[in-house]
Amino acid sequence: MDDFTLGVLTNIGLFSFLALSAYLLLLAGEMSFGQQAFFGVGAYAGGVLTALYSVPLPLAALAAMLLGALAALLVGLPTLRLKGLYFAMATLAAAEIARLLFELLRFQRSIDGELAGPDGTQGFRGIRWVFEHGVEAADFLLLIYGLLAFVLTVLLAVERSRLGATLRSIGEDPELAASLGVDVDRFKLGVAACAGALAALGGVLFAHHNTYIEPRNFDIMLGVHSLAYALIGGLGTALGPLLGVALDIGLLEGSRLFGGTRMIVFGGLVAVLLIVRPRGLLDEQLVHRFTSRTLRRR
Amino acid sequence: MLLDLLQNTIDGIASGATYALLAVGFTLIFGVLRRVNLSFGPAIMLGCYGATWLHLNFQSGLVVLAAATVAGAVLAGAYVERLCFAPHRSGSAIAAMVASFALWMQFEELATLVLPRHIYPFPLLHEGAPFEFLGLTLRPDTLAVLGAAVVLCTLLHRLLYRSRFGLAVRATIENPVAASLAGIDPGRVFVLVFALASAIGGIAGYFIVATHGQVTPMLGMWSTLKGLLAMMLGGLGSLPGAIAGGLALGLIEAHSQWFLGPQLRDLVAYLLLFVLLAANPAWMTRWTTSRSAS
Amino acid sequence: MRALALLLALLPAMPVLAQNARAELACRFTGTDFVYDCVIRLTRAGQPLSGAQVIVGADMPSMPMAHNIAPVKATPGRRPGDYEARLDLEMTGEWAIKLRLSGPLRDQLVLHYEFDEQGARPAKRRERR
Repeated sequence: MDDFTLGVLTNIGLFSFLALSAYLLLLAGEMSFGQQAFFGVGAYAGGVLTALYSVPLPLAALAAMLLGALAALLVGLPTLRLKGLYFAMATLAAAEIARLLFELLRFQRSIDGELAGPDGTQGFRGIRWVFEHGVEAADFLLLIYGLLAFVLTVLLAVERSRLGATLRSIGEDPELAASLGVDVDRFKLGVAACAGALAALGGVLFAHHNTYIEPRNFDIMLGVHSLAYALIGGLGTALGPLLGVALDIGLLEGSRLFGGTRMIVFGGLVAVLLIVRPRGLLDEQLVHRFTSRTLRRR
Repeated sequence: MLLDLLQNTIDGIASGATYALLAVGFTLIFGVLRRVNLSFGPAIMLGCYGATWLHLNFQSGLVVLAAATVAGAVLAGAYVERLCFAPHRSGSAIAAMVASFALWMQFEELATLVLPRHIYPFPLLHEGAPFEFLGLTLRPDTLAVLGAAVVLCTLLHRLLYRSRFGLAVRATIENPVAASLAGIDPGRVFVLVFALASAIGGIAGYFIVATHGQVTPMLGMWSTLKGLLAMMLGGLGSLPGAIAGGLALGLIEAHSQWFLGPQLRDLVAYLLLFVLLAANPAWMTRWTTSRSAS
Repeated sequence: MRALALLLALLPAMPVLAQNARAELACRFTGTDFVYDCVIRLTRAGQPLSGAQVIVGADMPSMPMAHNIAPVKATPGRRPGDYEARLDLEMTGEWAIKLRLSGPLRDQLVLHYEFDEQGARPAKRRERR
């Protein structure tokens, strides 16, 4: 597989984590413009651990996920009572706060005779753990998709289960769910923590793929993009966000046809698509029809 | 010390005036359509780019450039309205928002295609030395912006509270169904309000680029963020709130920058918004109880 | 399964002794918008690093994911450690040039350069507006 295709597929995998993170919150009825903050937390935490403290990648990834979940709770707790646009703006504010804090983060240690570590707006170079341990690009791709497959399996299983139904019921009508005995607050916080951990996992992998991260990587554009991926791909199934990512990045990087007018074409396509299918491609109706047809007993 | 505070206050009100105009534009669209338009800033940017193109090719004067900015913003806004908001009128607010995000992408790419350099100079409103007055520095272009903003807001108030159109707008905000029963066409109101909001945004955009003296493709996101921030700080959904929010944002930024430096300036504004939202005071969240914000 | 095995195998892995490669970029504007002829100078521990395969990519930090320049394979230049590539960027401004090295040394370097009508200069320390 050539280098370019490898790069495109890797990016699709990486941003899928972020899209799934936004998707989880959407299922719970909340629209978050800020999942990129947890992506960034994962990236910086993972990078610091592997580059400055020689922590092996798997451990660093676990630690990063934990931090992502904690950060998500830090944002989720104060905003529990907020709905709709208010919640969205609160997450946007939180994400920008995170990005600005990254700009202030200067934490360097001397490794092999030179300074390494996050250096504010100059970014964080030299996250070279995969190169130092002989991990080939193709292997890293397999790692990403292996983890993604695992996450998907869990999510698809949850969706079929009572847990998934409870989650969607909170998203549809929280008062009704509460009247049926669901602890809506605890659920929402749980989902937020999972979404934060998921985004952080994507972040660690992203940092190690790129070897260089800077605060600008984790700006609003990334957040709005991930939300858009989930909404375009459809909220009927966890495969929806993946479809959204694949469409955008696949079309964006894959099609050299349009040259400098890629975004114009893609933007137009998305706007038209949403007129035809406002709930995204794999929306709940489609998924329901598909699953009921395949699962129907004769 | 007092002099510095006063100077910051003046500077803050000056930048706050443009933020207020941006917030007013967002609020008009949100108040009437109950939707967030993510291409509001980028539409303004397109207007500014149109004016820049005119400036580069025809050396047009101030008035022509201002008119071009407004015209560009309104045209771009009309395109957004037709493609993102009209089709989802009775449907999903989220779909409309994502569609407006898609058009944002279009506008950014269009801007870089038309004018590929990353930064372009824009003719300043006023070249030359600022006034010195009692130890305070006053720039004539700042005063012009303030004056124009005041005039604009007064005109807007007149329009909304003294004209039939304004009555129709307020009725539609209150209750679109009742308004249509009274003979008002909500669809037409939406289109006109959208155009009005875009025009106000265009004016804000012109002042922004004419006082900064430069245009970049980042203008789209920048104005969207400032507008949203100001709108939320002033309490979502009220026009006086939007103006207050814009001025407040300008003041907060000016003082934070003075005391804490440019890096912490934006941090303070976002932190304030987050804290306000978390504290959830009644005046900030009145739109959740009476009218759903999503 | 392979991924899982890889994950387990990585746990006790010893880091391979790696000397960082360094790179410098010198670019000339060809006159066509916005194509630049660039020479990449690779060194390692102070010595020119030749015989590497260099793939050059570019992204614009201020507009992430908005531009996508097709990665270009650099050809060996005149002097040892020099590699030449023609970059077709979509606009002027600050670009993050990503060098993917393979061959004697597998590594990835990211350089920030400011591209304009003359050529490219290392990007200055960024200030806030």
